[in-house]
Amino acid sequence: MLNFKINSNEIDNIGNFNAKEKEFRLKNLDSFNKNGFPNKKSEDWKFSDLREIVSKNFKKLDLKLVKTKVQKINFIKEFDHNYIIVTNGELTSSNFKFEEKNKIKVQSYSNNSFTNKQEENPLINLNHALSDKGYFLEIKENYKFKKVLVIYNLYTSNLNENILNCKNKIKIGKNSELHILEYAINHSKKNFFNNIYENVILEESAIYKNISIYNEKSFGYFHKYSSNKLDKKSSSTFFIFPSGLKFNKLDLEFDLNGENSECNLQAASYLNYDDHQEIKTRINHFAPNCKSFQKVKNVLNSESKGVYQGKIFVKDNAQKTDAYQLSKAILLNDSSEFNSKPELEIYADDVKCSHGSSSGNIEEDSIFYLMSRGLSRQESIKLLINGFLSEITDEIKSNSIKNFIVNKLEDQLHEHKKH
Amino acid sequence: MLVIKNLKASVDGKDILKGLNISIKPGELHAIMGPNGSGKSTLANVLSGKVGYKISGELKYEGKNLQEIPIDERAQKGIFLAFQYPTEIPGVNTSNFLRTSLNKVRKAQGKQELDALSFIRIIKEKSNELGMDEKMLSRQLNVGFSGGEKKKNEILQMKILEPNLIILDETDSGLDIDALKIVAEGVNSSRTDKKSFLVITHYQRLLNFINPDFVHILSDGKIVKSGSMKLAEDLEKTGYKGIK
Repeated sequence: MLNFKINSNEIDNIGNFNAKEKEFRLKNLDSFNKNGFPNKKSEDWKFSDLREIVSKNFKKLDLKLVKTKVQKINFIKEFDHNYIIVTNGELTSSNFKFEEKNKIKVQSYSNNSFTNKQEENPLINLNHALSDKGYFLEIKENYKFKKVLVIYNLYTSNLNENILNCKNKIKIGKNSELHILEYAINHSKKNFFNNIYENVILEESAIYKNISIYNEKSFGYFHKYSSNKLDKKSSSTFFIFPSGLKFNKLDLEFDLNGENSECNLQAASYLNYDDHQEIKTRINHFAPNCKSFQKVKNVLNSESKGVYQGKIFVKDNAQKTDAYQLSKAILLNDSSEFNSKPELEIYADDVKCSHGSSSGNIEEDSIFYLMSRGLSRQESIKLLINGFLSEITDEIKSNSIKNFIVNKLEDQLHEHKKH
Repeated sequence: MLVIKNLKASVDGKDILKGLNISIKPGELHAIMGPNGSGKSTLANVLSGKVGYKISGELKYEGKNLQEIPIDERAQKGIFLAFQYPTEIPGVNTSNFLRTSLNKVRKAQGKQELDALSFIRIIKEKSNELGMDEKMLSRQLNVGFSGGEKKKNEILQMKILEPNLIILDETDSGLDIDALKIVAEGVNSSRTDKKSFLVITHYQRLLNFINPDFVHILSDGKIVKSGSMKLAEDLEKTGYKGIK
């Protein structure tokens, strides 16, 4: 078992911090060292025993990573876009050629909120203790982006049993609108761990749309905690295509703080080999007349494992809440596994909350029907998987981006071999 | 075209077909009528290759042992089954599916695959003939289709794939008289001296419009009587009980 205890002088190696920040980092480092990586005894991790996964796959976790020269990347040609490039978590360049520059602020992120909040998640402790990279993006009030912003997340070839701790923050001002495509490009060939802490703040009537996808498979082990705070009438929409990593846990929290705010979260994944993926959500309905919608679809092949833990919390004053949650999984193989844990915690009496979860095999009748029209068994299964996942991609409004995503998903499925 | 000798089929140890004989030559249209549970759908399933049946006897399609031909290759070799209950396939666009299917069949037959434009021309023409709403083609395959729309969609596939042996499994059930006429017209306009049809049905009414060359009565897993259209007419008067 990997004994991953971190010496406090690692904090000094990252940088010179004032007393307040140093104390914050030390306190979090203490917590992490006390608990280590979480294991299945912890309720939040009962389907994803990270301690075991890390022990099995890493001999060490190196905090030091030598910076590489600026690397060339293949920009997306299918549609016009602004971009920022984030290399191994670090902001390396940005280009907002389609926008009014004075409405946008982008810089490397430095944390300045050192709360005393006791975090239950050791990975958040770890991030608070050691985060040394990330970006801060701010959109001023009353500005709607003209083109999508692509965040190229590049992982370089020198990554080798490293651990990255990144902190990002996105703030969208009142009445402003931002569309982001998070696009991961992988040049790495070895295992590495990426621990991300993200803060998203939507002011009144702000609109945020986010699509994320991995261009190619990597040996990445990712954990991301994302805190999303929504003021009144704001809305956030997420399309998540999270497959492509060896391990991925997305822990997404949405606070619907203002009346008439809404969040919409849809995910489609195709997991293969021994991929392990968990999507954990917590939607907090803190104000009346808010809406939340979640739809998570998984296709699991080989020995892969998928998890969905979705919690909807409705505070006593959050009347007229409309919350929906659905999880569907197709298991292509007896060795694959899917766990789902939907949870509702409701303290208001005039609400509409529904949830559903199903998992099963592909229907033989459907395969037979397609085969009777000349398609091979393999082609039939592929078509059915595509059909299953397309329910999510069909919801993407921009045609050029939708086609881009559909093609990327096709590539992921292309590796779908006989099972 | 199709020769069936002493065909026996059982599922989960239950005998359903108990020695069925039938021979269909190119250009012929045979109708098989029979009461519920006589084995009609089993016959259709066995011919299309559905798994789960224990089969013995002789099944020959164009001189080859049908049992050795996988399901998809049967389609590629020109066998078409119009389903009694066409399966709903969520997320799969009807038109895209039809093109994939047609090009698979064409490729297997050594013909050139069709590009999108030529395909659209064909599908528009054929769907118009069947009085289908073109919008249906951009919907998900059979999802939310009415009973009649599903059956028309089967006939559309039959017309597009241009098979040699066509098996219609109770295609008439659940159709109103107008839809029935359209389906019958779809069959009639597809008839050539090379194509053979096996029409499985409960009722005489479809046969009134398509004029079969032969009518067989299937009962308890066997053909108990064969004859011409007159047999179907008699059956309508006497019921299946009167035939035995």
